[in-house]
Amino acid sequence: MGKIIAIHSYKGGTGKTLISVNLASTYAKKGRDVCLFDLDFRAPSLHAFFKADSVEHWLNDYLNGLCDIEKVLTDFTPKNPGKGKLLVGLANPSTEAIREMSAKDRKWEMRALGRLLSLKNSLLNDMHTDYLILDTSPGLQYSSINAIVSADTALVITGTDKSDIQGTQRMIQELYDLFEKKTAIIMNKVPCEVMPSKNQAAILRNHFDMKHNLPILEVIPCSCDILSAGGTYIFTEEKPEHPFSKTLEKIASKIERF
Amino acid sequence: MGQSDPVQVLASETCTYLLLPIVDERVVYCVVRLNRYFILFSIVDASNNSRMPTVTMYESLQKKAPTILHQIKKSLDELNEKMDVIIEIQRHHQEKIPSIPEGTLDVMTLLSLPDHLRKTAITLCRLGEATADEIAEHTRRARAVESGYLNQLVLMGYLKKERRGRKAYFYAENQS
Repeated sequence: MGKIIAIHSYKGGTGKTLISVNLASTYAKKGRDVCLFDLDFRAPSLHAFFKADSVEHWLNDYLNGLCDIEKVLTDFTPKNPGKGKLLVGLANPSTEAIREMSAKDRKWEMRALGRLLSLKNSLLNDMHTDYLILDTSPGLQYSSINAIVSADTALVITGTDKSDIQGTQRMIQELYDLFEKKTAIIMNKVPCEVMPSKNQAAILRNHFDMKHNLPILEVIPCSCDILSAGGTYIFTEEKPEHPFSKTLEKIASKIERF
Repeated sequence: MGQSDPVQVLASETCTYLLLPIVDERVVYCVVRLNRYFILFSIVDASNNSRMPTVTMYESLQKKAPTILHQIKKSLDELNEKMDVIIEIQRHHQEKIPSIPEGTLDVMTLLSLPDHLRKTAITLCRLGEATADEIAEHTRRARAVESGYLNQLVLMGYLKKERRGRKAYFYAENQS
């Protein structure tokens, strides 16, 4: 059976969306069928990444019980033969939709959780999807906790900022552990001065594991190439030989072995 | 045969069983000690063979006794397990678990539940609706324990319970 991966972080701007999109693309390149969902209803961003202009059904509609999940999925499979499918579910970026989603009550959130949990049957069992990747809002929002509860694995993205690391530690103890989630941490945007070599990356991983009890899956150095791309294309597709793309391949393989 | 016959004793961690050498027609009496309580059982020979001499019948029932006593032990162990659940539920009630009148089983509620109830509640959320047996299969805890936790969640207003035939189904309202 397939796997649901929730990509989450304590703070915003850690690179959740970048890693979500590129992880989904990496799996599709490996021949896996992938669904990628934008569950950041307060600041939707995947529609811009995929340049989706004519969307009829949003994930908002699915969670509101207005349509089935199949209606929400848009095919963004890379046009290379022999690759897996990449289907994307987008969050409605209109101000009205964001306002509406922010005002939902607990009963609605409970129904939303039920609908997210049912994706395991509809997407993974019935449609034989290999991976469902949920790009979430940062911090302890209803939508992100719903995503974490629904997921098999939580992938937490953190920077090297002290407040971010402490917040991630707290979330592990007070959120992921309580829900008994398999959790992996990716340290992103690590300054080159901190991590000049591969050897240093291993030292950094061990340091966080021992000192902060944070099991770091991979360390991704800060890259001007990624910043220059500005979210205009899928990095791992355009630059498969770039160190970032290679690190994403390693992450994908490690998650597969979980 | 009579009061002078040896008394058979079987013991487990929780119970002591005494097979009394008292025969009355087709009945052998058995006293089971459970903690400080004594329970008297009668073991009846269902073969209804009236021609069988009393001594042979006693010996025959004596042979069956260990099997019957083991069945009794199994039932008593189940009873003990249920009593443990009741005691645990009462203990948790004393700890005053916060209850919400609306009974909304959302993620924030799940986070606020004690660990043992959270596991049951999340499993039920995943399954949609389930019996205690089905929940126990996923949590790998005893059915009786899950039954206790599910009923506690019903009392707290988070779950609904519906009987269908001999089975009780639990579900979270408003989750469909």
